Amino acid sequence: MKPEEEVRKTRYQTYALVWVTLIILTGITLSAAGRELGGWTVLIALVIAGTKSGLVLNYFMHLRSERLTVFKVIIPLVLAVFLVFILLTFSDLAFRGGVK
Amino acid sequence: MDETTAFALEGQRDATGARLGMWLFILSEILLFGGLFILYSAYRYKNPVDFHHASRELDVILGTLNTIILLTSSLSMAASIAAIQRSQRKLSMVLLIATMALGLFFLVNKGFEWGAKMEHGIYPNAPTLLARAKGEILFFGLYYVMTGLHGLHVLVGVCVLLVMLILLSKGKVRSTHFTPLENSGLYWHLVDIIWIFLYPLFYLIS
Amino acid sequence: MTTTGAAESIRPRISFYENQGRHNGILAWILTQDHKRIGILYFIFVMAFFFSGVVLGFFMRLQMIAPGGAIMKPQTYNSLFTLHGIIMIFLVVIPAIPTIFGNFFLPIQIGARDVAFPRINLLSWWLYISGAAIVALSVFTGEGPPDTGWTFYTPYSLRTTVNVPLAVFGLFILGMSSILTGVNFVTTTHRLRAPGMTWHRLPLFVWAIYSTSWVQILATPVIGVTLALIMIERFFGVGVFDPAKGGDPILYQHMFWIYSHPATYIMILPAMGIVSDIIPVFARKKIFGYMAIAISGVAIAAVGSLVWGHHMFVSGQSDFAALLFSLLTFLVAIPSAIKVFNWVATLHKGSIVLEPPLLFCLAFIFLFSIGGLTGLIQGALAPNVHLHDTYWIPGHFHYIIFGGMGFGLFAAFHYWFPKMFGRMYNRKMAVWAWVIMLIGFNIFYFSMLLLGWEGMPRRYYDYLPQFRTLHLTATFGSWILVAGLIVMFANLFRGLFTGEKAKDNPWDASTLEWQIPSPPPTENFEEIPVIQRGPYDFKEFDQNG
Repeated sequence: MKPEEEVRKTRYQTYALVWVTLIILTGITLSAAGRELGGWTVLIALVIAGTKSGLVLNYFMHLRSERLTVFKVIIPLVLAVFLVFILLTFSDLAFRGGVK
Repeated sequence: MDETTAFALEGQRDATGARLGMWLFILSEILLFGGLFILYSAYRYKNPVDFHHASRELDVILGTLNTIILLTSSLSMAASIAAIQRSQRKLSMVLLIATMALGLFFLVNKGFEWGAKMEHGIYPNAPTLLARAKGEILFFGLYYVMTGLHGLHVLVGVCVLLVMLILLSKGKVRSTHFTPLENSGLYWHLVDIIWIFLYPLFYLIS
Repeated sequence: MTTTGAAESIRPRISFYENQGRHNGILAWILTQDHKRIGILYFIFVMAFFFSGVVLGFFMRLQMIAPGGAIMKPQTYNSLFTLHGIIMIFLVVIPAIPTIFGNFFLPIQIGARDVAFPRINLLSWWLYISGAAIVALSVFTGEGPPDTGWTFYTPYSLRTTVNVPLAVFGLFILGMSSILTGVNFVTTTHRLRAPGMTWHRLPLFVWAIYSTSWVQILATPVIGVTLALIMIERFFGVGVFDPAKGGDPILYQHMFWIYSHPATYIMILPAMGIVSDIIPVFARKKIFGYMAIAISGVAIAAVGSLVWGHHMFVSGQSDFAALLFSLLTFLVAIPSAIKVFNWVATLHKGSIVLEPPLLFCLAFIFLFSIGGLTGLIQGALAPNVHLHDTYWIPGHFHYIIFGGMGFGLFAAFHYWFPKMFGRMYNRKMAVWAWVIMLIGFNIFYFSMLLLGWEGMPRRYYDYLPQFRTLHLTATFGSWILVAGLIVMFANLFRGLFTGEKAKDNPWDASTLEWQIPSPPPTENFEEIPVIQRGPYDFKEFDQNG
């Protein structure tokens, strides 16, 4: 084990920029909510939330600067697991009346 | 795997290992809330109209304010770590206090929100709520459980940050050893990310 | 591999049992950060809970020995099978191998001095004890223990007035213990391998514990939140599983089984890892298909997380979901079969040494195969309609859990006993115990399969006269099985105190734990070894150690 390694130092500027982006995205999702978008509403909300989370994960949580494979794998892994759980559950819920 | 096998150097700290452990714990937290999100999706799928109606009763302004509060607290958290990396201990502590203050502000807002709802008779098992459509009962049930569990995590986070503040003040967390602060930051950002999803799913579906 | 050879026998040997820290007496154990001591602590308590589970089972079989049997009230019987399930599943089978042998041997097998987070390891043990204590509390306070079955299906679990919240809270705490252990083991495997210990040179037991730990991290939170919701539901009436408020009880079953099916893989994978470690030693031959066994463990963990709906074929889920889950259930049998083929291929043309560890592994293969094949039968949709909630199901899962994981656990006892305790047990007695258990086991549980086939429902405290012969046979078999267990544990217990001192490497095995003293010193290794060969490379081992 190496002694306390050099974790890349992020500049304050970068953090501030990320924060501004997050606020802007919050504004976008708020305004999108006010409109009639039908079935797209959930998808757009999730995409924006996903983007915001991606920014927090990569920049605030430094995931971007991690080099080891295991760090690169864990978030896709947990997303895949969650997706599988929710899809298989819906294979029940969405088809209770039979496959149309 | 691409890393060279790790030497077990005696007496050396393994910052990467500590971080890995924290990330793995975070995965378990993501799935803890994930279970609740599965329930949310299931019941929203079954009761789209009721969810839409119920959501209108939540205060969008308060929700948005809380979102901005948490996002800003994430900024101050990350900056606090950046500061101690640069040996700027006082700045680091100030930023940490700001993070805690924002966290508490979030909880106070949540308290008011909940209080207002309860005054109107909207809380689990309340007669007023039970008289409503099933989907609305479920919406508010999930609202209390999910924001409640999240709030509990915010509270724990504030306590953890308090401990970090003390360690910072004593020099136990410093530029050559800031892993505890970094790991606390990871936890705090997780709590922020969970709210990033809770916000549109509860406040913005009307 | 650095050899310590002759120097080893001259140096005074201080084992990890000697107190070297600042504590003494019992504190030196319950406040320890030594992974080996923590393993021993788990050993004591897991076995204590196993015994209580066996006693509960014994009384269940006594009730069922004859129709109209009235040694207990129906309510008592309901509580018995609930507690038997809770204790065996959550307090024994899920934790046993990871917490006892994972703790004791994972660090040593990878060439480390301890796990990545020793204090969290201690916390895991305290959470285990606390959770168990709370479950015990639920038995002896208030209106008595839960009567819902270990599955706590809603809405009954929301309405029954017995101590469901207390029991469920205990299990929640136990879940936290499991998650932290998983985090510890994954980090340990990634970060603390000795120089030269690449992923391809890890013992298969390590691969098994590693895969299991991922399941612990990812699946346990889902049951955590589900159990929390039972408590929240009962205290606050939120409504998420209550049909009266729009909740869906089938959704509860989804959430419950999303963890509880992968939990069965938490149970079996470590046992398979033990078999994979033992067979090469007693065939004195490299394992056949190392990579296939390693990856199949990962595959079982992955695909096994997709099959939970096979517990719900007749619950009311959609036909489409049922079809999907049935297909996936058949797929997950494949990696298990791969392991069995590879074990058998390893034995083929090997230099077989019929010692107790190998005997238990052979029993594992036989019993696990029966369990697996019966699983396929019930995993097919049409037969499931007939077999669900009959005695076929507990017949199946006792073959897998007890015949599989249980015998794997016993194999581990007989393999690693000399290393952990520095003594040897009586090998002849061990073989006798094995014979008696095997006979009793099959009489008992095969009768259950037949009972289920004939239509005997499970969780019933009484039955129609037509089932009497098979029930009598089953109870009789259970007595033989218990006799075998008594012989086995008495033998091991006696070996602990009066067994002859064991050599450092009585089995002439090549994995790292056998290259250090029996019992090991606190720091495991004099010097961290440098690894230059695979774990079952006997040719290299015989030449260079």
